[in-house]
Amino acid sequence: MSLSEVGERHSVAQQQVQELRERLRERRAQLSDIDLVRYSRQYGCKPVRLNVNEFKCCRTLQGHTGKIYSLDWSYVESTRIVSASQDGRLIVWNAVSSQKTHAIKLACAWVMTAAFSPAGTAVACGGLDNVCSIFHLSSSPDKEGNLPVSRTLMGHKGYLSCCRYVPDHEAHILTSSGDQTCILWDAEANKRIQTFGGDSPSGHNGDIMSVSISTKDSSLFVSGSCDSTAKLWDTRTPARALHTFQGQGGDVNTVQFLPDGRYFGTGSDDGVCRLFDTRTGHELQHYHDQHSTSRGPTNVTSIAFSYSGRLLFAGYTNGNCYVWDTLLAEVITNLGGGMGEGHSSRVSCLGMASDGSALCTGSWDTSLKVWAYAGNRTLR
Amino acid sequence: MGCIFSREAAEQGDIRDTIQAREIDKRIAQQSTAEKKVQKLLLLGAGESGKSTIFKQIKVLFQTGFDDSEKKNYTGVVHANAYQSIKILLDGLQEFSESEQEKYTLLPENKAIGEKLTEIGNRTQQPPLTEELAQQIEALWKDPAIQASYLRANELQLPDCASHFLNDIHRLAQPDYVPSKEDVLYARVRTMGIVETEFSPVGETKKRGELYRLFDVGGQRNERRKWIHLFDGVTAVIFCAALSEYDQTLFEDESSNRMIETKELFEWVLKEPTFEKTSFLLFLNKFDLFEQKINKVPLNTCEWFKDYKPLTSGQAEVENAYGYVKTKFEELYNESTPPDQRLDRVFKVYKTTALDENLIKRTFRLVDEVLVRQRLMDAKML
Repeated sequence: MSLSEVGERHSVAQQQVQELRERLRERRAQLSDIDLVRYSRQYGCKPVRLNVNEFKCCRTLQGHTGKIYSLDWSYVESTRIVSASQDGRLIVWNAVSSQKTHAIKLACAWVMTAAFSPAGTAVACGGLDNVCSIFHLSSSPDKEGNLPVSRTLMGHKGYLSCCRYVPDHEAHILTSSGDQTCILWDAEANKRIQTFGGDSPSGHNGDIMSVSISTKDSSLFVSGSCDSTAKLWDTRTPARALHTFQGQGGDVNTVQFLPDGRYFGTGSDDGVCRLFDTRTGHELQHYHDQHSTSRGPTNVTSIAFSYSGRLLFAGYTNGNCYVWDTLLAEVITNLGGGMGEGHSSRVSCLGMASDGSALCTGSWDTSLKVWAYAGNRTLR
Repeated sequence: MGCIFSREAAEQGDIRDTIQAREIDKRIAQQSTAEKKVQKLLLLGAGESGKSTIFKQIKVLFQTGFDDSEKKNYTGVVHANAYQSIKILLDGLQEFSESEQEKYTLLPENKAIGEKLTEIGNRTQQPPLTEELAQQIEALWKDPAIQASYLRANELQLPDCASHFLNDIHRLAQPDYVPSKEDVLYARVRTMGIVETEFSPVGETKKRGELYRLFDVGGQRNERRKWIHLFDGVTAVIFCAALSEYDQTLFEDESSNRMIETKELFEWVLKEPTFEKTSFLLFLNKFDLFEQKINKVPLNTCEWFKDYKPLTSGQAEVENAYGYVKTKFEELYNESTPPDQRLDRVFKVYKTTALDENLIKRTFRLVDEVLVRQRLMDAKML
């Protein structure tokens, strides 16, 4: 077969794929008869009335000399945070006292992600060096005060965009990479357990930017990628993704499971956050504020849910950090924005403390801010 | 908690934490001051533009740290690299033998050694390389299965130093072994995704205590826009373009011309907000190949250069053609940079042939002058 014939058959096949996708989209739209907002209103859901002043920035953590790229709270002690920055350092903070407990200067300064282990004894990080480095916080520092690397997980062929420990499993780490694959590692044995994507046809077609592991069933996780899709995987069946969630209008920068493990949210370069149901595969709701571009482009960089899931926190590239009402899709407030307390530059990462008591945001303005709710109200 | 801790003990704990936190702050401040003396340079360019060759040249010509005492410091790293390399090859066997069992199975006499070396490779602290271990490693390296695995090294992320060290393993195991300059150069390559090298091109900068650190991100074959913003503090971007590729097509896509690809990449990089204030040094590379080609293949084969009309022939023509290409790049720079921004950043074009050591040396001396002048201007001293 000549090259041009192959090319023709390729374009015909592509046409077919497009048509089938359209048909799927129409069918899904038919089935999706109601969205979360209308459903909530039907059931008389009252809007969350919070005084804007009641979300306070109670701590500002200064110390990094470069843009913050990633942060993670410790699961077991809800007051410790690890942050990774462009200055090539990981800093472990005590959020209550604002003091640093550890500062690790990394061999490869281009770090893009950091994670705390479930027992709080180790931190993992990775970036442009294509490897995931693990540091045990109790190991003794060398003469320059740096912690030695305990493990180096090599195998990715592209940058590490996100690493997350599997809850309750001190030695298992899931990493996602610019090489379009996710890998589940056994950190103790320094081996990979499974690879998701890569050669398999159901894998991602773009750099994977983020992963989130379900806290209810740690064999399920979601990955978000530059191919504008999010995929649900089961670690027990790595050959195929369980489901692909389409509909994002740009790179999916962040994915986050809700605490109940059945729903997850995504944030994308098109400025919209979306809520999906893992059982039906439907998009339940999207969260978009058309008027928010006054401060600059609004790509969503990171999202987190409150402990009950009623609030969705989203960080944007223009420095805004919105608190959305998940059920009614209304913006409750913009954390610090316009009041001088907020970040002056892109919010690159955010995370909820494990006991739901505080939210930490990290920004390109080199600071981390810890936010807490200072009022006294129950959300119904 | 109040009933277990006495107030005194709690306060002691607090004081310890505060002291530790202050020490951390002090250390960060010290490290940041030292970092300020390092000028970071980023190498960018399309595939096969000669970036890696320039990178290697810089390493060989300018890299510091080769007195005997400094070289001795690398013995541990060299040994670790040897262990790592053989371990990666052994891991590769496991991966490959899933599809082709026989080809990738060790000879029976080597199986025990294979297991032992995998175990050693997994440790964080490796034992020093003894003659006995060297013999075992050599036995494995010569095993046909390992050699077959080595042929597929690019799938394994095997570092470049592997064959250099494994071929020479006995020399590395000598009790009085001191790493050679080459050993040190190979040992320093840490990772696959990004490679870096530190150097000071002119003798005087070493006295000033200033260093250049050059990064080559060629190993990343993915969405540049997702990590390019990590480099917003670099002193300068060294953009490599191969002059001789005006008539060549891409490996991945035969309908695309390489020079057009380079042009688009250059434009994209110039317009990136990350590099608003970063100086650009354009290396028009592979000049020797360009010289040979220009009189045989007309420049206007490339869409971008279609306005070009050859005036003469021979050496004068080469200079004409080069001048035209240089002008096209300068025009592209001006189009992509708003007028007020042109004051903030420096743009210089250099003609290079990466394989010519002296040319590289001279070029980097000029680069050094430009960067020094830029820094003085930034500090408002000029």
